[in-house]
Amino acid sequence: MRIAMKLLSACMLFWLVGGAYAAGMALNKVEVSVDLPALERGADTVIDTCTVCHSLKYIRFRDLAGLGFAKDKVQAWRGDSPMGSVIASKMTVDSALLAFGAVPPDLSLIAKAREGGENYVYSFLLGFYAAPDGMMTNHYFPGTKMPDALGIAGVTDAAQRALLEQKARDVTSFLVWAADPHAQERQTLGYYVIGYLLLLTTLLYFLKRRIWARLNTIQQNQHKE
Amino acid sequence: MLSRVIGWIDQRFPLTSFVKRELTDYPTPRNLSYWWNFGFLAGFVLVLQIATGIFLAMHYKADVNLAFDSVQHIMRDIKYGWLLRYLHSTGASAFFVVIYIHMARTLYYGSYRAPRELLWWTGQLLMLLIMASAFMGYLLPWGQMSYWGAEVITNLFGATPLIGDRVVLWLRGDFAVGDATLTRFYALHYLFPFLIVAMVVIHMVALHTVKSSNPSGINLAAKDNIPFHPYYTSKDFFGLGIYLIIFCVFVFFLPHLFIEPNNYIPANPLVTPLHIEPEWYFLPFYAILRAIPDMLGGVVAMALSVVIFAVLPFADRSSIPGGAHYRPVFRVMFYVFIVDVLVLGYVGSQAPIGFLVPLGQIATFIYFATFILLPFVSKAEDRWLRARGLPPELQALFEQRPPREKWLRK
Ligand code: HEC
Repeated sequence: MRIAMKLLSACMLFWLVGGAYAAGMALNKVEVSVDLPALERGADTVIDTCTVCHSLKYIRFRDLAGLGFAKDKVQAWRGDSPMGSVIASKMTVDSALLAFGAVPPDLSLIAKAREGGENYVYSFLLGFYAAPDGMMTNHYFPGTKMPDALGIAGVTDAAQRALLEQKARDVTSFLVWAADPHAQERQTLGYYVIGYLLLLTTLLYFLKRRIWARLNTIQQNQHKE
Repeated sequence: MLSRVIGWIDQRFPLTSFVKRELTDYPTPRNLSYWWNFGFLAGFVLVLQIATGIFLAMHYKADVNLAFDSVQHIMRDIKYGWLLRYLHSTGASAFFVVIYIHMARTLYYGSYRAPRELLWWTGQLLMLLIMASAFMGYLLPWGQMSYWGAEVITNLFGATPLIGDRVVLWLRGDFAVGDATLTRFYALHYLFPFLIVAMVVIHMVALHTVKSSNPSGINLAAKDNIPFHPYYTSKDFFGLGIYLIIFCVFVFFLPHLFIEPNNYIPANPLVTPLHIEPEWYFLPFYAILRAIPDMLGGVVAMALSVVIFAVLPFADRSSIPGGAHYRPVFRVMFYVFIVDVLVLGYVGSQAPIGFLVPLGQIATFIYFATFILLPFVSKAEDRWLRARGLPPELQALFEQRPPREKWLRK
């Protein structure tokens, strides 16, 4: 049955690795950030630029304040909308359809809703380029209807590209937070829970050993008889 | 005081004697390995699924216009809602890990053999109920994979001869998966766990009638049994600790592993995802479905692959007790079968192209061949082992009870 144990762990690994997908062009990896200034820069861009077309219907301004952003910052973002209102798109579905021929998807869950997750979002935002025929397209979503929102296509200056990459990284970090706002809390709690369980299980192991040790003495006594 | 209360109860209800007979003093073989922990673990997982499920149900809305949003409401606004949901969604996968290991242990040690046939069959029914619950639960988040998974699977019932269309209509409550399907799946998803509890009780009654098997496969003499408490309670709780550590790693750090990206997109009947793939625990059966080119044939093969385990008590014709412990050929068959199931799982997770098609067909063939060959192989192995000479403990067993006489019957 020891072989079975090995088999089991082998197949777990297999599934984990096998779960990785095979996409057309390899995605760029992004190190998403969880610190407040980066998230705030990301939120700035998302609310200024992306919400022209996209909504974030599961995020309320109140949630942004709850995350710890400065009050006047949230105030500036929301304008006259109440704290409890969600981040809506400035464009109606009909006008978006008319303008782009596609409805811009809600961005609240987008960092989870694509194969490749945050790496996809990051790569997509930086993937715009002008095709030889002059049409704007994207390495990771050929023929996408979305315009080059960050303005990366045609930028060749290294320093400027680095700035845009930083911007995309901040935007992605914010969207990753938006898709799973309790992730930080979850992981912190996870360390405590697992630490506690390790302690408890160690104690349970020694308890079990002590109880089963009785069995050996009983058996020895039986043999003596 | 407490003893007086218990005394009062005992005059009216056999509480103390029941606990003593079925729990604390319940005789258990002393040589059980850690593979015997998984039955208890399955019971624990069931309780946790029911507990988290009831709280999720307090916030979930079974309506096509509200379902997806209500799950996000649980994830974002309800206090520790994310924990409830991840415990439940990860718990579903954990349930299958635990019962598949529990079943593999039963196969390896031949625990399904007489007199444990009913124990095995009630276990089979449990597996079917769990599969049905998981399938219906997967529709509830109302994401793209929920919707299309249900669409594809319910569609399979259309292969039923003559009344196929009507069966599909009856299952869905509508011509396509929709609000009627969601509400009935929700109702049944709440009902089935309690059917499972009832079946577990039956499973336990059967177990306590025939008692646990053990790694040797030989029915042990009374002196080799030990009381369940404190020996196996302590061992089960230690095992539970290990289980919880592994489970919590997934719940707190990898909860998205078991949630398809597509299921973060609300269900849309007009957009079919590129790959529709069932949850990992159905993949081997899904591979068998696809291995047969004909739809009806595929559905029959898939259904058969799930229920065929029931024939094992008859198919295993060895007179050597137990499973792999004394039976090297049986052990080889076991490992071939396990590897085969893993191969099927892999094939089921991939698009059916290239060498994967014949690989899936060969693996399907081996899957069924295992069951068909078992009667002959077990008989031949029996003869070979006897010709070679049995180990003394088996020899002693057969001298006590001549092999002609069915020694298993008491
Ligand atoms: C001018 C309108 C507009 C702006 C501004 C805009 N988008 Fe989009 N976006 C779209 C449209 C339209 C689509 C749908 C594209 C399609 O399906 O072809 C889209 C799609 C997307 C997608 C999904 C791509 C996919 O794989 O389906 C992501 C991610 C995205 N946008 C992110 C952003 C981010 C982040 C910003 C802000 C930096 C942004 N968008 C700004 C219009 C816009």
